Amino acid sequence: MLLLVTLLVFVLLHAAPGDPASMLLGQENTAADLAEARRRWGLDQPILVQYLKFVRTAATGDLGKSFRFSAPVKEVIKERLPATVELAFFSIVIAIFLAIPLGVWAGARPNSWLDNFGTSFGLFGISMPNFWLGIMLILILAGTFHILPSGGRSTYGVAGASETGFYFLDSLLQRNWPALRDAFVHVVMPALALGANMVGILMRVTRSSVLDAGGEEYVVTARAKGLDNHAVLWRHVFTNALIPIVTVVGLEVGTLLSGSIIVETVFAWPGIGSLLITGVTARDYPLVTGVVLMYTVAFVMINLFIDALYAVIDPRIRY
Amino acid sequence: MPSSIRESATEAPRLAAESRRDRPRARRLPFKVAAGGAIVAVLVVVGTLAPWLAPHDPQYQALEAMLKAPEWFHGAHFLGTDNLGRDILSRIVYGARVSLLVAFAVVLISGFVGIALGAISGYFGGKIDFAIQKFVEVVWAFPALLLAITILAFLGQGLFNLILALVAQRWIQYCRVVRGQTLSLRDRDFVAATRALGAGSPRIIRRHILPNLLQISLVIGTFSMASAIISEASLSFLGLGVPPGIPTWGTMLADSRSYISTAWWLALFPGLSIFLTVLGINLLGDGVRDLLDPRLKRAMKT
Amino acid sequence: MGWRKTILIVVLVALTAAGVESRRAAAESRVSIGVTETMETFNPYGDSVSLLYGIWCQVMGCLGTYDFNKGDYVGMLAEKWEVKDPNNWIFHLRKDIKWHDGSPFTAEDVVHSFNRARNDPQSKQTQNIAPIASASVVDKNTVRFTTKQPTAPLPEYLFDRLIITNHAIYEKYGAETADRKYPIGAGPYKFKELIPGQRFVIAKNPDYPGMKQMPQAPDEIVYRVLREDEQRVTALLNGELQIAQFIPPHLKKRVDSEGGTKSTTVDSVEIMFLAMQPKPPFDKKEVRQAVCHAIDRDRIINTVLQGLATRLDGPIGPGQYGYDPNLKPKYDYNPEKSKKLLAQAGYPNGVDVELETPVGRYTLDKQLNEVITQMLNSAGFRAKLATPEWATLWSNVQAGKVPFYYMGRGSIVDPSVALSQYFETGGSPRIGYSNPKLDKLLATERQTFEPAKRKKILAEAMSLITEEAPACFMWRHKMIYGMAKQIDYKPTPSGRIFGEDIRVLK
Repeated sequence: MLLLVTLLVFVLLHAAPGDPASMLLGQENTAADLAEARRRWGLDQPILVQYLKFVRTAATGDLGKSFRFSAPVKEVIKERLPATVELAFFSIVIAIFLAIPLGVWAGARPNSWLDNFGTSFGLFGISMPNFWLGIMLILILAGTFHILPSGGRSTYGVAGASETGFYFLDSLLQRNWPALRDAFVHVVMPALALGANMVGILMRVTRSSVLDAGGEEYVVTARAKGLDNHAVLWRHVFTNALIPIVTVVGLEVGTLLSGSIIVETVFAWPGIGSLLITGVTARDYPLVTGVVLMYTVAFVMINLFIDALYAVIDPRIRY
Repeated sequence: MPSSIRESATEAPRLAAESRRDRPRARRLPFKVAAGGAIVAVLVVVGTLAPWLAPHDPQYQALEAMLKAPEWFHGAHFLGTDNLGRDILSRIVYGARVSLLVAFAVVLISGFVGIALGAISGYFGGKIDFAIQKFVEVVWAFPALLLAITILAFLGQGLFNLILALVAQRWIQYCRVVRGQTLSLRDRDFVAATRALGAGSPRIIRRHILPNLLQISLVIGTFSMASAIISEASLSFLGLGVPPGIPTWGTMLADSRSYISTAWWLALFPGLSIFLTVLGINLLGDGVRDLLDPRLKRAMKT
Repeated sequence: MGWRKTILIVVLVALTAAGVESRRAAAESRVSIGVTETMETFNPYGDSVSLLYGIWCQVMGCLGTYDFNKGDYVGMLAEKWEVKDPNNWIFHLRKDIKWHDGSPFTAEDVVHSFNRARNDPQSKQTQNIAPIASASVVDKNTVRFTTKQPTAPLPEYLFDRLIITNHAIYEKYGAETADRKYPIGAGPYKFKELIPGQRFVIAKNPDYPGMKQMPQAPDEIVYRVLREDEQRVTALLNGELQIAQFIPPHLKKRVDSEGGTKSTTVDSVEIMFLAMQPKPPFDKKEVRQAVCHAIDRDRIINTVLQGLATRLDGPIGPGQYGYDPNLKPKYDYNPEKSKKLLAQAGYPNGVDVELETPVGRYTLDKQLNEVITQMLNSAGFRAKLATPEWATLWSNVQAGKVPFYYMGRGSIVDPSVALSQYFETGGSPRIGYSNPKLDKLLATERQTFEPAKRKKILAEAMSLITEEAPACFMWRHKMIYGMAKQIDYKPTPSGRIFGEDIRVLK
C-alpha cells in the first residue's frame, strides 16, 4: 500500500507542470544554471529511474534530501510534526469539550432552547470555511481585544531550547510556566479554527446518539429503577453513544490533517500542513513524497487505534 | 485492512444513529424539509434567473466607485461594491449559479462513480472487490487537499477541472457505504429468490440492490454537497479556484481576505451566502433522510 | 454537575492564561519585523529569497552592498575593488574584520564561499556567480575574480548576493554541521536562532567596525513570518511587531489612524510589466503597442492602487541605474489608437488573447489584472484572464511556454542583467524576443566600463525596447512599511532590511 501511495504521489507530482529548479533558483537564473541544478538533483533522469532510486533508498529508511530545505526529509518532518500533533490534539480537545456536553445536553432535552442553540452552533461550525474563521478570529481576538497573539507558535525568548519538539511537554519538563502560557495562547486560535468543523459534526452525532439511546429499553429500565436522571444520562446513555462518537473522531482526524494545510497557512503555524504547501509549491518532490508517506502511515495507525478503542468501549466487539 | 471492517461499524451506525435522532418529535419533520427546501429552492431560482435578477453586470468595474459600503435602498448598490467597484449583490446572484452548479455536479458525478464501483465491488466480491478496495485505500489515504491541488496543477484551471478535483475523493464515501450495504443485501432472501428465478446480475443490481441504496446515498449526497461548497472556497483561498471571469462565492470570499478589517461587506455577504446554502442543504438532507427512513415510518404509524 | 464545572474551569483558565504578550523591559532593544517571505534552511546557499540574502549578509557577510542614499555600491567586507583588465577584478578586503569566534577574516574565506555557492549540491545561488570563471587568492587580503567575458555590472551579481562563510569551520565540521551548529559569521549581526518557517533571530555584534557608534541600532532583531496581510497589520497594532513589511495600499489607513503606529513608503526596484512573446498575434509590433495604449495606467494607479505606485514609461524609473529623466512617455492611454493599430496588424475585428497572472505574489496582482483585462476588452481585444498556480506559471514562463503574462522583475538597481535576461537573443526563453540591433547594444554596454558612456548605451537600449514593446512596462509599486512610533526606519527600495538602518528611539 505504501508503495502504491508513493507511486501515485510520484506520478502525479512529476506529471504536474513546474519543476523544482526553476522554482528555487531565483529570478536571475540562466538556462545553464537550471540544467546544472536538475543534473545535481537527479531530475534529468527518466521518472521510473528516479522512482526506483527513491524506493531503494527509502527501503533503508532514508527519504532523501529536500530541495527547498537543503536538509534530509526525515529531519524536516521530525521538526514539523510535533507542531501539527499539538495543534490537532488541541482541536480535538476543544471539539470534545464543546461538542459532547452540548450534544448530550441537546439530546437529553430535545427541542429546548439549548437544543436549538446547540444545533445552530453546530451548523455554524460546519458551514464556515476555516480560513475565513481563522482571519476573523485574528481580527477579533488579536486585533480588537488584544488578548491573543496573531500567529506563530511561540514568542521568541520565552521558552528554552526545545527538547521534544512539543512545546507543551518542553515547558512542563522544564517547569517553565511563562513558556507554557506562551504555548497555550498561541495554540488557542488555530485550534479553534481547525476544530470548528469537528465541533459541528461531533455535536450532531452526539445529540442523535443520545436521542437514540434515550429510547432504548435498558435506559427506561434504569430510570424505572429510580436512578437519578443525571446518572442515567451519563452512565447509560452516554457510554452507549460513545461508539459513533469515537468513530467520528477517528474519521475526522483525517479531515483535520487536511484542514491543517489551510489553518497552518493562515496562522503561520510551522507544522506539516504548511510544510506540504511549501513542498508542493516548490515542487519539492522528495519532501512531498516523504510527507505523504508519513501521512499514510499515520492514517493507518489511527485506524488501528480506533479499532482497538472499539474493543475497549464495547466488549461485544472482538477481532 | 481495518477500514473495511470499520465501514460497517462506523458509517452505518453513525448515519443510522443520526437518522433516528428525531424520533420523539416526528411532527416537526416537515418543517425541516420545508425550511431547507425553501432555501434551496430560492437559491436555485436565483441561480437560474441570475441574468434577470442581478441589478448590474457582475463583471462591470466602476473603479471610481470601489469599496462602497452597502447602500441598502438608498443607492444603486444594495450590498455595496467590492475592491474593483463591482456590484456585490449582482456577484452574489451570479455566484449562486456557479456554486450550486459545482455542488450538484460534484455530488452527481461522485455519486455515480462511487455507487457504481461500490455496488460492483460488493456484489461480485473476490478479485474485483480486492482491486477496487485497494484503489479506494490508496486514494483515501491521500491528503484530500493535496490530491485536489495536484489534479488542478496537472489539468490546469477551469470549472470542469475544479469539479473533477472535488470529486477525486468524494466518491469514496459512497463506494464504501454502498459496498457494505450491497454485501449485506446480496445474501438476503429476496435477492437469492430472484436469482433462483433466473435473473442475471445486472438485472439484480438494477432492480433490487440500487433502489435500496438510494436512501443512504441521498444522505451522503447532501453532506458532500455542503462540503463541496466549502472546499471550493478553500481551493480559491489557495489560489486554485476557477478563473477570475466566473464569479463564485469562494473566490469572492478568498479575495476579501485582506479587506475584512476595512470593508467588512466584502467578506460578510459571500460568507453568509455560503452559510445559508450549507444550512439549507443540511436541513433538507436531515428532513429527507427522516422521511425515507423505513424504521421511522414504522414508528410514525404506531 | 461535574462536567459543567469542568467547562467553567477550562474557560476561566483560558481567559486568565490569555493576555497580550508581556512587554519586555527596555534595557535591550528588540525589534520584531513581520515579513512575507519564508526562511526554510540553515544553509546560507540553500535559498535565493531576497529577504534571506539580506539576513545572511548581515550575519555572515557580503563583499558589498548597494547604498540607495549614495546611489552607488559601497563595500562591506571588501574595502575597495578595481577592474585590473576587462576579465579580471581585484577585491581588497578589509583588515579589521574578525569572525564572531575571533579568528581573522581572509581571502581564503571568500574563495571558499565562491566555490560553495557554485558546488554545494543544495546551492540555489549558482546564477549569482554565473559570469565568473574562477576565484583565486592573491594574498591574505586580496581576491581575484576572473570572468568568462567582460562584465561591467559584476557588482550587481556579487554585492548583496554572494554570502561569505567561514572556510575553517566548513573544513572542520563539514557543510551540514557547520551550518546547523556553528553559524559563525563576520557581519554586523550574530546568528541567534532560526526556526524554519517561523522566525530568524539575530543579535548585534558590537565588535563589528562602526557598530559601537550605532547605539540606536536594535540589539536584537526577530524576523517573523506572517504572510496574511491582515495578520501582519493586526500584529503591528497589537504591539507584537515593531515593523511590518509590505502592507497593501488599502490597509495603510488602518496603520496611520492608530495612535502607536505610522507608515512609510518607498519606491520598489521591482518593475511590473506585461510580457508578450513574439508569436501570433504578438509577432506584430502593432499588436504589442496596442496593448500598451489600451491600459490606462494612471487611472489604475489612482483608484485601485490608491496612488501608491509610480508609472513606468520605460523599463526602469527614477533612482535606478541608467534612468534617463528626459525620456518622453511613449504610450498614452488611447484605446482608439489601439483599435487602429490592431486593424493595421490585420485584426480589424479584434483578436483573442489570454493573459496569465500570479495570485498573491505581487501587490494586488489579481485585481490589477482583472482591470487590465477589462481595459483590453474595451480596446479591441477579446482578452481572458487566467490565474494558474504559481509553480505552474513560473516554470512555464521560464520554459518559454506562456505567451502573455504579468510579472515583476525585482532587485533591479543596474538593469543590465535583467534586460539581457528578458530581451536579449538567447538571454532566456521567458519572452524569446530577438533583435540584432538590441543585442549589439547590450553586448557593447557590458564591455563598457566607463559609467557615463555605459549609461548612454543603456538608455539607448531601453528606448529601443520601449519602442519595440516586447513588454509593456506598467508601474513600480510603492512598498508600504508600517512601524511603531518609536522606530525610525527608512526602508530600502530593494526590500532588504538591515539592522544598521533601523533606529530605536527612546
